Amino acid sequence: MADVLGAFEQAVLIAVVRLQADAYGRAILKEVQARLGRDVAHGAVHATLGRLEQKKLLSSKLGSGTPVRAGRARRYYRLLPAGVRALNDARSAVDNLWSGLNWPLIKARSMS
Amino acid sequence: MSSDSSTTLPPRWAESLLRMLLSPEDRDSVSGDLLEEYRESVVPALGDKAQGWYIRQVAGYLLRKAWIWSALVGVILVTRYLFDTLAPVRYTPGVIHPRSAIMSYALMTSFAFGSGWQVWRSGHLGSGVLVAFATAAVGGALSAAGTVACLAIWHDPETLQAVRSSGGLAEALWGVPLLLVPIGLITGATGAVAGRLAHAIVHGASRPNMKSA
Repeated sequence: MADVLGAFEQAVLIAVVRLQADAYGRAILKEVQARLGRDVAHGAVHATLGRLEQKKLLSSKLGSGTPVRAGRARRYYRLLPAGVRALNDARSAVDNLWSGLNWPLIKARSMS
Repeated sequence: MSSDSSTTLPPRWAESLLRMLLSPEDRDSVSGDLLEEYRESVVPALGDKAQGWYIRQVAGYLLRKAWIWSALVGVILVTRYLFDTLAPVRYTPGVIHPRSAIMSYALMTSFAFGSGWQVWRSGHLGSGVLVAFATAAVGGALSAAGTVACLAIWHDPETLQAVRSSGGLAEALWGVPLLLVPIGLITGATGAVAGRLAHAIVHGASRPNMKSA
């Protein structure tokens, strides 16, 4: 059984999957904000990336800087096999929960 | 994006503070992400208010570093309040009751350990003291909020008498939280020195990179 992921951890990992080779801190933040439809603090994303890397679900390496960043390096993230397993488990857990139900729920069913 | 925004600098002190809080391996990448966002998105969108956004982001990083220690400080103080009101003891002036001693040591350990851990991660003495300050400020606020919540639950005459006997409500609500700041700074500074020494022994005594834009 892989690590159980929280909702925000899933959002960050899925952003890394979507961005592929362009998955660095700010791009991940933008992707997460766009998908969740709300403002997200930089610190929240960086803390989550650090935690996922510690859990060995992600790996990272430094890239080059750009003038707008005052030449400071970007850190690019990549999903590791354990991260793929954790995301697959999270998805199948949600699918199991919803199995047999029609979505979206109608009021009569949710009240019964 | 205007040419102005691509070279605009956030408040220098806030950027130095952010870099001080970060570990050496994250210092450039994280502060670079924030600078890129600031210049490309925030300054064009917010104009003069962009600096406020940057300061809030840095404050968020500081609070993230301090929240667990702040929660611990809040729990210690509220626990002491509960003991003093629900299981009161007679305090003798000039004599340190074991209950007081245990609380004081637990608080000092929290400040010292929180600060030392931060310096161990970042290599900067100042970041440990900053975390100790934030721990004291937030921990004091949590303690006051916890005291009010306890008071809302238990406010019978016996409990109120116990509160008065153990120093009074004013002490619990603002006396102790205010006192936490100097205690936090002193014990935090001690922990920071210990953390810096440990960092220097393990990682070498080189000065951490503080290059800014």
